[in-house]
Amino acid sequence: MERRLQQLFFALSLVALALILAAAWQANTPSWKTYQKNFLQLEAQGEPNAVAKAAVLATPPEIHQSLLPGLQRVDRCTTCHLGVEDPTMKNAPEPFRYHAGLGPHVPARFGCTICHGGQGLATDKESAHGKVEFWQTPLLAKDYIRASCGRCHKEGDVPDVPELAEGRHLFETQGCRGCHKLNGVGGSIGPDLTEEGANRRAPEWLERHFLAPNAVSTGSAMPNFHFTKEQARNLTYYMLSLTSEEMGTYFSSMRSIPGPAYGRQLFIEKNCITCHAIGGVGAKTGPDLLGVTKRHSPEWLDEQLVNPELVYPGSAMPEYDLEPNARKALVAFMASATAEDVQSILSGKPRALAPEQIAIEAGKQNFARFGCVGCHGTELQGGVPNPNAQGGEVPSLLHVSDDYTKDEVIAIIRNGRAPPLDNPTGPTPPLYMPSWKHVLSDEDINRIADYLWSKQQVKKDSW
Amino acid sequence: MNLIREIWQSIVRRDPLSTDKGKSELVFLNVWLHIHPAKVKKENLRFKHTFYLGFITFFLFLILLTTGIALMCYYRPFPPQAYQDMKDLQFVVFMGPFLRNMHRWAAHGMVVCVFLHMCRVFYTGSYKKPRQFNWVVGVLLLLLTLGLSFTGYLLPWDQLAYWAITVGTNIGSYAPLIGGQLRELLLGGHSVGEAALLRFYVLHVAVLPSLIILMTIVHFWRVRKDGGLSRPVWKLTPEKAEKLVTIGAPAEAVALSVATASKDKTYGLMEVVTGKPIFETITPEEEADTVFSYPYAFVREAVVLMATVTTIMTMSLFLNAPLEELANPAKTPNPAKAPWYFLGLQELVSHSALLGGVVAPALMVLALIAIPYFDRNPSRRPCDRKWIIWLFTFFVVVNLVLIVVGTFFRGPGWALVPPWVHVVSGAE
Repeated sequence: MERRLQQLFFALSLVALALILAAAWQANTPSWKTYQKNFLQLEAQGEPNAVAKAAVLATPPEIHQSLLPGLQRVDRCTTCHLGVEDPTMKNAPEPFRYHAGLGPHVPARFGCTICHGGQGLATDKESAHGKVEFWQTPLLAKDYIRASCGRCHKEGDVPDVPELAEGRHLFETQGCRGCHKLNGVGGSIGPDLTEEGANRRAPEWLERHFLAPNAVSTGSAMPNFHFTKEQARNLTYYMLSLTSEEMGTYFSSMRSIPGPAYGRQLFIEKNCITCHAIGGVGAKTGPDLLGVTKRHSPEWLDEQLVNPELVYPGSAMPEYDLEPNARKALVAFMASATAEDVQSILSGKPRALAPEQIAIEAGKQNFARFGCVGCHGTELQGGVPNPNAQGGEVPSLLHVSDDYTKDEVIAIIRNGRAPPLDNPTGPTPPLYMPSWKHVLSDEDINRIADYLWSKQQVKKDSW
Repeated sequence: MNLIREIWQSIVRRDPLSTDKGKSELVFLNVWLHIHPAKVKKENLRFKHTFYLGFITFFLFLILLTTGIALMCYYRPFPPQAYQDMKDLQFVVFMGPFLRNMHRWAAHGMVVCVFLHMCRVFYTGSYKKPRQFNWVVGVLLLLLTLGLSFTGYLLPWDQLAYWAITVGTNIGSYAPLIGGQLRELLLGGHSVGEAALLRFYVLHVAVLPSLIILMTIVHFWRVRKDGGLSRPVWKLTPEKAEKLVTIGAPAEAVALSVATASKDKTYGLMEVVTGKPIFETITPEEEADTVFSYPYAFVREAVVLMATVTTIMTMSLFLNAPLEELANPAKTPNPAKAPWYFLGLQELVSHSALLGGVVAPALMVLALIAIPYFDRNPSRRPCDRKWIIWLFTFFVVVNLVLIVVGTFFRGPGWALVPPWVHVVSGAE
């Protein structure tokens, strides 16, 4: 018995030793070493003599990594993709091929995953390409890689990627914010899209979802906007670019330099003139902006553009979802703007607006910007299907004055409303009117009502 | 050659192991071995008496200590880095996955073995006089093991860790009056975040290991002082069970005649202690039943040690420790589950927060601690203590069933879903 036990002890010790050796062998033969060996052989082919060949082949294997503190990433892709920066590898087989057309985006400064996705820290193919469980961002398919440009190039046109600007435009004009939050601004019927690009779904999923929401996610409350294929592609690009990652100043868009010209463009785009005046020209709702940069620090103004309520309690100014550079540009414009500037901006409009028209115009802007158009239509025509709501669809607003007073409409906007049911025992309709009182000021809501009333059509059969 | 022998003898200072004196001296002249008796009863070495579960638990703890210290070299207890360090262990540290797997599987193994060890001690009635207090120390060791496992669970900072600890600490917060504060003290805030990670790290690598080492020392010391391992139940005779006496209970001991002290004599401790020694081996027949610890006990311990190590190594070679996405407080998995050993609790909490989360576990721990003091039945033979065995078994089974239900049968929204049904969750 004792002898047996001693033998067992030695046998088990040998097994333990073997297991350690097995673990060490496993650790010592990762797949990337094989890739490096193959790459060295490829490189050695190009060497003129045996000595140089031997020298190349003797290169010890090592992990290559780009440390990217500005992007909070570490990319080890170049451990296997060894020829990325070597033009002689133009025709080499993958994973060694040269990456043409990088321009200034050298892997040493930008890494790979910021554009391609995948798991930069990983050193085996499956994990690195992110096609494993518990990794949210697998490699992007070739057709969608350019969407990643928008992760840094957040504003203005991105050269060669018209899809991004187009997608952003669609997002802001089709009323997506009525249901979806983006960077804190928007409704809460649909999911928050601020990190849609980081919690990336399959791009194909997004694209099919835009074409027919119900086809890919059953019971989705999202109406079918009847987008064309291109529009769905553009929106998908825009979604893939959305991330709340801090990119670091080096990486944030370098194309749209925050100068007064860009600020002027934004000033027009965002219709600041409907509330503000400069040097007495413009509207009187908000403060005159002449010399505002002398009264307040740039930091104060920047904060004001992010969250007006916080800086200036009681401020009626709505929140604008502006990128840091856009805010800088606006501040730069305000520093230099004069009454003549505003004059020219106003004269650039098809017609000068009377004060009451300015309120209506502001209402129209709000109606579009906060996403009312998503359900009620760009022309107030309504008609988005909403099963089991009265009439089966979101109501048209062209005849609200027939059934409601202005105050009643304001109350509905303020407090929201569940739609009256077609069949009282049926399911709850997916869409409902959210409460806007915490998002919009009373002034904004009044203007929206003004806008609605300006659009009322007299019923044909009334007399 | 002489010098080498001299050096060797300066280290070991004992007679050759071929002699009985040498075998004894090997044990009591060696600081690491002297916790053993020089001689042990043959029957106590039998595998079917203890299953060596205490030793296995201790060896698992040693594995955890060594791998844990190695892992500390690669770990930074701050939110984004902690997860990145896990990835580095997985992808670039030499034998990193093996190291982490060993730590993980040994930790789960230790929770299981501590529990099984407790069951063994219960079923053999070994918590009875004079070992009542060592049972209490054992219960504390069980709680410390759970604490170590729970604090370690958070450190990878992935979704699994984050939400298990969120759920786990929520269970604790149901305690009336102090629950909320207790959770806040543990987390350093209202939710699991940076501060919580640092606190769990400090608990996991400093506070709890120190406590568990101290308590283990007490536990081992008391095993010796309470008379060594309990006798196997099949050796017990009804009378024998009542005859034992202890040093701590002089009233029941047979008084020894005490000689008057002589001024010319130096006294050793054994000569001034009154009362009968507590060791169970008293009679010459029983003396014949003993063997030297060397090699009989040591070789068995060595075999158990290597069996434990090889089992954990084999598991670590083929099974990878789980690592999910980076912790994301904004994205709650459905269902969010506590670590498996707390899933029985979570299951109870899903029925009643206060009753299941506070009252039941508190009563359970108190009942465990109280067992040796309330069970006045002196007999250790299973046939004499049927009802308490049934009661204990009932609680063990209920606990296991709850854990199994919580682990395998709970789907999204904590709905009862059999494991073979796949639920597609979260269609947004």
